[in-house]
Amino acid sequence: MNKIKAQNIWKKFNKLEVLKGIDLEVNEGEVVAVIGPSGGGKSTLLRCLNKLETVDRGTVVIDGEELCHETSVGTEYVNKNDIRRIACKMGMVFQQFNLFPHMTVLENLIEAPVNVQKRDKAEVIKEAEILLSKVGLSDKRDEYPRKLSGGQQQRVAIARALAMKPAIMLFDEPTSSLDPELTGEVLKTMRELAEEKMTMVVVTHEMGFAKEVATKVVFMADGRVQEQGTPAEIFDSPKNERLKAFLNVILK
Amino acid sequence: MDYVFRIVPQMLDGCLVSFQVFLITIVLSIPLGVLLSLGRVSGSQLLQKIIGFYVWIMRGTPLMLQIFFVYFVLPSVGIRLPDFESALVAFVLNYAAYFCEIFRSGIQAIPKGQYEAAHTLGMNYLQTMRRIILPQVIRIILPPISNETITLVKDTSLVYVLAMNDLMRTARNLVQRDFNITPFIVAAVFYLIATLILTVLFEHLEKHFSRYEQ
Repeated sequence: MNKIKAQNIWKKFNKLEVLKGIDLEVNEGEVVAVIGPSGGGKSTLLRCLNKLETVDRGTVVIDGEELCHETSVGTEYVNKNDIRRIACKMGMVFQQFNLFPHMTVLENLIEAPVNVQKRDKAEVIKEAEILLSKVGLSDKRDEYPRKLSGGQQQRVAIARALAMKPAIMLFDEPTSSLDPELTGEVLKTMRELAEEKMTMVVVTHEMGFAKEVATKVVFMADGRVQEQGTPAEIFDSPKNERLKAFLNVILK
Repeated sequence: MDYVFRIVPQMLDGCLVSFQVFLITIVLSIPLGVLLSLGRVSGSQLLQKIIGFYVWIMRGTPLMLQIFFVYFVLPSVGIRLPDFESALVAFVLNYAAYFCEIFRSGIQAIPKGQYEAAHTLGMNYLQTMRRIILPQVIRIILPPISNETITLVKDTSLVYVLAMNDLMRTARNLVQRDFNITPFIVAAVFYLIATLILTVLFEHLEKHFSRYEQ
């Protein structure tokens, strides 16, 4: 079953066309790596899925529910409450972590499950502690984010997203602002998540991750999906000229 | 020294008037300032412009002029307020404009990523503001708020223009009656004590609200 179905997505910032008719399908349990040169629209596409950006035209269906659908004049979104409800079916991990600095690690994790999903607090805390041990940060439970390294902060951010029990996880360049020696711990956490059959869309420059963990690789450039396929197809026998050039530069 | 003890009760009465003006102004102008600032950062262009105009008028004219306006001009359109209330209306409207700008700068200092994280966690506008944005804003705006509050302590002396016996006017009356400048010195000490109390209070608040940064 489709967890994400995006059809004919167009998005313009001022006069600049960033997305020019993108189609993306993600099935349950798939790990989709979105790769491509900077400015190619990868992050924008991801942000259109949970309405951090509003699409100009196109249809987005998340976990069987329509977020917006294409009309003759562009697109029509569902109402605000439904948007919020659908958007938080997807956990999102940002390049800049975006933890809440005034809350401890545990408070970051339980904030939305308790106050948005209205789940039982004691229950949520128990689950949060399990998540923290999963990402290897049980001992940081009561620290403020400022005290943590970038890699630790990003793992907390992953745990925070997971605490909402999302159907899908979106990663927007999760390791791009980390020192090289810290990317490993974050990628390891993501790899474990993939092994648990979490449905994931990962915008990344980590070709190793795309190659080894992704089940599907999507190459985007100039606002279009230029080529998509299995990691083997994309990396070993690329057909698209832009993809070949991109791989030449990036893999040397 | 005897003289000081003799005038202190009278001066304390004056202090009470000043303190009332101070306290009521703070209690009313801060919430009003929060509301105005939310309008000022809202999506509505019209609301932004109206509040921008309001802030311009309030910060662009002397507080004393505003007090006169409320006291002398409003009655001609049928709004007649007693002295004390007139002064308060002017104080609250004036200080709300300053607080509005302080809160606006604080809100705009919060990175966009905080709103985005809140959005992806399903929070609505109120939850985002109350739980995520405002607690961080408080930390940023405490120093300018402290500044403004201390300014208000001294601005309360402006109520003398409406013949209210605040600390300043009481001191001046005593000086003129007794041909002795001691009441001015006593008044200065009172103002300084008030400022000292506020300084210490805000230091504590700053420490409390920045604990996550240590």
